[in-house]
Amino acid sequence: MTQQRISRRAFLRTTGDVARGSCIALTLPMILAACNRATEARLNGEDFQTLSEEEAREFDAIAARIIPSDGTPGATEAGVIYFIDNVLGDGREEQHATLQEGLRQLQTAAVMNYDTAYFYLLEPSQQDQLLTDIEKSEFFTSIRYLTVAGMFSLPEYGGNRDNLGFDLIGFEDRHAWQPPFGHYDKDYAETGE
Amino acid sequence: MAQALSASFPTREAVDFVIVGSGAAGGIIAKELSTASFSVVLLEQGPYLQAADFKHDEWGYEHNSDLMWGAHHGHPQTFRRSESDTAKLVEFALGYAHNVGGSSVHFSGNFWRLREIDFIEASVRGPIAGTNFVDWPISYDELEPYYTKVDWEIGVSGLQGSWDPPRSRDYPCPPMPVKSPGVLLERAAKKLGYTAYPAPVAILSQPYNGRPACIHCGFCNGYGCEVNAKSSSMVSMIPLALASGNCELRTACTVFRIDTNQAGRATEVVYWEADGTEQAQRANAVVLCANGAETPRLLFLSESDRFPDGLGNSSGMVGKNLMFNGWCQVAGLFDEPVNAFKSIPATRVVHDFYTLDENLGFYGGGGIDSRHPFGGLPMATASSGGLFGGPSWGSEYKQNLQQEFSHTAAFEGHTTSLPLASNNVTLDPDLKDKWGRPALRTTYMDHPDDMATMNYFMQRSLELMDAAGAIQKVGFYGEEGSDWAVHLLGTCRMGNDPGTSVVDKFNRSHDVPNLFMCDGSSMVTSGRGQPTMTIMALAFRAADNIIAAAGRGEI
Repeated sequence: MTQQRISRRAFLRTTGDVARGSCIALTLPMILAACNRATEARLNGEDFQTLSEEEAREFDAIAARIIPSDGTPGATEAGVIYFIDNVLGDGREEQHATLQEGLRQLQTAAVMNYDTAYFYLLEPSQQDQLLTDIEKSEFFTSIRYLTVAGMFSLPEYGGNRDNLGFDLIGFEDRHAWQPPFGHYDKDYAETGE
Repeated sequence: MAQALSASFPTREAVDFVIVGSGAAGGIIAKELSTASFSVVLLEQGPYLQAADFKHDEWGYEHNSDLMWGAHHGHPQTFRRSESDTAKLVEFALGYAHNVGGSSVHFSGNFWRLREIDFIEASVRGPIAGTNFVDWPISYDELEPYYTKVDWEIGVSGLQGSWDPPRSRDYPCPPMPVKSPGVLLERAAKKLGYTAYPAPVAILSQPYNGRPACIHCGFCNGYGCEVNAKSSSMVSMIPLALASGNCELRTACTVFRIDTNQAGRATEVVYWEADGTEQAQRANAVVLCANGAETPRLLFLSESDRFPDGLGNSSGMVGKNLMFNGWCQVAGLFDEPVNAFKSIPATRVVHDFYTLDENLGFYGGGGIDSRHPFGGLPMATASSGGLFGGPSWGSEYKQNLQQEFSHTAAFEGHTTSLPLASNNVTLDPDLKDKWGRPALRTTYMDHPDDMATMNYFMQRSLELMDAAGAIQKVGFYGEEGSDWAVHLLGTCRMGNDPGTSVVDKFNRSHDVPNLFMCDGSSMVTSGRGQPTMTIMALAFRAADNIIAAAGRGEI
């Protein structure tokens, strides 16, 4: 593990704490803005292990259409791109190559359709159109899979920062639960059937 | 060097028994033989993980194969539909945990016994052309004392009732608290005139044998228990084996051959330590408990002039009759929080369809239990997002995820698989694993009756889901055929006829008198899913008979 990587982690942790610590005082749009600024800083200033900076920007932009930052934090705020960077470097060279090839084709489509060299520079509606066109491709399936995995894996893998993914679906990673677990077993316990 | 635990035996002196594999069967046989004062070396290819090592790590366990290993870890497998196809590389087709305790560590804990009919079904139902569907050489009555022994030795929770096959003793622990999917199944079953009963599970509902009760964390299936409440052989049997002073557990040891002598007897088990050092442990007898994939693979790898088709394979049945159990699922969306991600996988079972009416025109049977559609797992849920027809990415997808995670229940069918010669485990002719051993090659296509049974159970589950009041529902089963499994059954089937079976009714090889095979491979028919209870009962029974045979000087 390089020093650079550790400092990136430390940076992530710090920005995460700031965002989390401010939850009470900040309104949701302000949290999102803070998250976006942190992400922007990361994308500009931090090296990736496996991805080139261009790949990181592009894959982050795709992930942001799969799990968008709308009313609630999305893939970008959860740091999905760092998860992707980590796991592609963990013996998944073949998958990385598939993604690189798919990205080249996507960028070609961006040029042909919108005269723009990079996917991340397109308008969200344009991005959605291009992704809809390749929805069934191995490339999209792979990037969607990695986005979902990065959103909902343990934060130690680089994504799901501050459990944003878990919070999104109402999952609480607790050590223990006690009955009642849900509405229907509570009702069952009360009514006896 | 392999890590030596407890007793320590020199490799060049024969111990009484070498046991290959420390899983559901191996752990039990190691405990039984060592506490009966036999010297035992227990070889396990994985590590000895402890409760504190296990995490709620969906990426690591489910997607990175941290416990199950796979191509990514240097253990590739191949899969094909039929003999005429070239098998393709897969992460794994036959899944099992590589650790002390084997798959009993990461299994769901569902613990169905077989029933009387399972052992005699071929003669009751009549033969089915083109299949190897036959009766077992033992009856339910012969296995019942061992089912009960499993209940009490490892710790099982359940409720005795009319739904049970005959049992000689009550469960040691009361049933687990019902979850919302269980309530929904029970209410639906009642409406339709069926019976949903508390699922028997190898998970402790109260402290037992020095182990604590389940804390309902929700990570059973695919995960190791973090408090030792799941009754794996690792926590219930291995400690007793080691404490006997007669059992040496060697982890990170990969067995690749059983050597035999001119007399046709097994003499030693050859393996690699973690660093590749070759070792051979001499033994008076060998017990293979490596599972329904690895046991036949080892027999094939142990071929010799005397055993040209693989050790113990004069019948030609080694590796054949692979059975996965069929599976189907119906997911339903409900108005109120179901929160099926909490606690154990299944708390209610319907067994009204155990044996399907012959007039349906196909053979089959099974059970339906109540779960979360995606094991209660966030990543799995999100991967399948859009389950009820919504988009699979974008804002609407994201919005739907919360409902799909917390407001869903699933009714799952677990069903029969017919034994077929064409469904099998063989050695891949081209692909090697990281040790240079031929990779496991699986050839599998469900019998048409198996498919019809899955469909039948899906239809019944859809009706149950309606009766449960689901506001949306969706059902599916593998219409194109199963292409992976964790139930690895039938590949060294037991039987009385050496011409058509691999082991006898006491799990002894028909061909090699001091070689025993006991794991999922021993099963003659598939049961209705949840085979671990039967594997464990067979292990206790095999151990009893091995001890008796040894006492008579007959090994």
